[in-house]
Formats: sequence, structure tokens, C-alpha cells
Amino acid sequence: MREINERPICHRSEDLVTYLYGEATAAEAEDFSAHIEQCDACRAEHAIFTQVHDSIVAWRNEALGTIVVREAQGAEPISLPITEPATFAYSPRKLSALAALREFFTVSPLWLRGATAVGALLLCALLLFAVSRSWRRPINVAKEANEPKYSQQQLDQEVEKQVKERMTALTKENPLPVKAPPKLQQPKSIQVRSQVAINQVRSGSQRTRGLNRQEREQLAADLGLIPGRDEELPFVLPDQPNQ
Amino acid sequence: MVERALTGDPEAFGEIVQRWERRIFALAFGMLGREEDARDATQETFLAAFRNLRGFRGEAKVSSWLHRIAVNQCITRQRRARVRSEAALEDEAEKNAAVFALPADISPARTAEYTERSLAVRRAVSGLPLDLRQVVVMKEFEELTFQEISEVLDVPLSTVKSRLYTALRQLQMRLQKFGE
Repeated sequence: MREINERPICHRSEDLVTYLYGEATAAEAEDFSAHIEQCDACRAEHAIFTQVHDSIVAWRNEALGTIVVREAQGAEPISLPITEPATFAYSPRKLSALAALREFFTVSPLWLRGATAVGALLLCALLLFAVSRSWRRPINVAKEANEPKYSQQQLDQEVEKQVKERMTALTKENPLPVKAPPKLQQPKSIQVRSQVAINQVRSGSQRTRGLNRQEREQLAADLGLIPGRDEELPFVLPDQPNQ
Repeated sequence: MVERALTGDPEAFGEIVQRWERRIFALAFGMLGREEDARDATQETFLAAFRNLRGFRGEAKVSSWLHRIAVNQCITRQRRARVRSEAALEDEAEKNAAVFALPADISPARTAEYTERSLAVRRAVSGLPLDLRQVVVMKEFEELTFQEISEVLDVPLSTVKSRLYTALRQLQMRLQKFGE
């Protein structure tokens, strides 16, 4: 392209543009054709602007896929016939959730954005309220679904109440006579055997032989450690006493 | 059509879209330079038009009304793109946008030449100030007459012509740098 920066600018620049794009009337076009033959600046600019225009049209045609036929040749004005309407298929794009949300808010009217924001805030408040309520609630002690659920405090009170009622009822039905606790008296034979056993134990450190099983059972029975001879021993004593 | 759309006729707005989508797409493509962006901007333009249907004043032309909305959408998108700093991805997208409509039988060398040239033109147009770019796009992409551009932009006819003249001079200088 030629340099036009330093060339003089003709005062008919608007006429040049009108002529270039073919919008001049027949009389105007004839007049400017005569002018361009004499004006170097206009002639140069016309040639250069034609190249610029062709570049833009080439880009547009490449991009939009339309074909524009330049009908004019040489000094004739550029004709831009209206191209057939192209159909633009709006291919659905796959958007990420965030992008879709952003697009939704972009195209939504203001009232819808406000309503969504208020709704979101209310939902958050409701969630916070629910969480705080469940946090404070005591643990339920009922195991079955149909059981009434009590708090621990309510349960304690209920138990205490039931116990008192039961105790009152029992006291009324069977009033117990107040008597002194019975004094435990052991039979004389047991007392004697116990004493013998105690003496044996006390002198056990000086003895070389320990008690056999029968003696240990007897001693345990005498001391009241086991209910009786006929019953089984709750534990088995070692054969050898502890040293 | 707009009156019918206002009365709730669902097909009336569809007719508006069908009638104007090509021009709005061309405008958006010229302003944004990328097919995908232009599609999105076109879609957003008609959505915005639908939302603001009641704001349409009968004295203005539907074309002027839609063009204003479209230009605003394009400016908003460019602002957003700048904020997102998508420049790194833009170069690749630019190349793709430039070659997608080329014939299949063209040689690789020729394709590269077309691509470079288209990229240069696209950059040159994108680099124009907004008022100049609008006029270029409306003239070259939408093929509007000077009178129509004047009505859409609500400026005198002579202003449209002087802006286009200035824009062509600036484009020539930018493309000259590319040719060097």
C-alpha cells in the first residue's frame, strides 16, 4: 500500500467516501469522476481506500462465509450487493456449572437476581437455625420408635417419681415392724472349731505342713466364707499356702 | 411486529430475531472479531431486547434500537474479556476464527497468508476507536447506507462520512505496518 500520510488532503473527502461506497447519485458520481482525474490526493486515496475496503471484505467473507462480488471495475464506484441472509446455527455449548450459573445471572433480570439472592440468604438462615436447634437438643434415651422420648432430666424425674410411688404403695400394703437387727450367734461347736482353726493359722508360720483341702474347706465353712459343705466352693484355694 | 410481541404473541419476537439476526451477528463479529463471541453477543442482544421490549419507543426504528443494544453488548463483552485477561487464549482463537471459512483445497502456504492477512485486518479494525469502529463495521459488515448509520447512531450524515474517512486512513496506516 502506498503512503498517504504526507499527501495533501482534499476538502472533498466526504464526497470521496460517498463515491467509494456507491452512494453518490448519478450527477454526483459524474462530478466526482471528473474531479478525481485532476486531484492527485483524491486519486491516490481512492486507490488506497479501495485496497483497505477489499481487505476488510476479504476478512469478512472468510469469516462469515459470504461471497460478495465486486461488480465495479477501475474508476467505477464499488458496489456491495446485499448478500443472502446466512443462517446461524446456535450450537449449544457445554458450560461448567459455574459458567452456567454466571450466564444465568448475566441474562436474568434484576428482580430475579434479587429474589434468588434473598432466597439463598433465607435458606442459609434456615439451615443455621436447624443446626443450632439440633446442637442444643439432649440425647433421647428411648430405644424403640413407639416409645415416648424423654430427655435425661425428664427421665430422672420420672424414675424418681415412680420409685416414690412404688415405695409408698409397698409401705401401705406391708408395714414393716421396726425391730433391732438380729444378733448373729454361732453354734458352740462352730465357735470351738473356729477357735481351733484360728489357733492353727496363728501357729501356721511355725508349722512345716500346710492345711489339706478338707481342712481348708472346713475352715472356710466355719468362717462363713462359703454357704455350706454341700454347696460348691466359689473358689479353689491353692494347695500350698502363701509363704 | 414489536407491537405484536408486546401483546404476548410468541411468534412475533421470533420473527424479529429471524429478520435481524444476520445483521446483528455481522455487527458483533466486526466489533469483536471472533465468531464465538459474536454468537454470544448476538444471543445476549436478543435476550436484552426481549427483556426491554416495553422500553422500546415507537418513534425509533427497530433496527436502530437493536443496533444500540448490540453495540452495548459488544462493549460489555470486550470489557469483561479485558478483565478476565484472556489475551493468552485469544491469539489461538483469532487464528482459528480467521481460517474456519477458507476453502478446503487451498494450499497450506496460501492458508497461512490468508490467516496472517485476516489477523492483521482484524487487529487493525479492533484497534480503532469505538466511534470509528462502529461506522466501519456498520458499513462493511452490515452494509448499511450512510443514512441508516446516521439514524442508528443518531449523528449527522456528514459526521458518518467523516468518521468513515478517518477510519479508512487509520486502517491504511495500520495495515501498512503489517505489510512492511
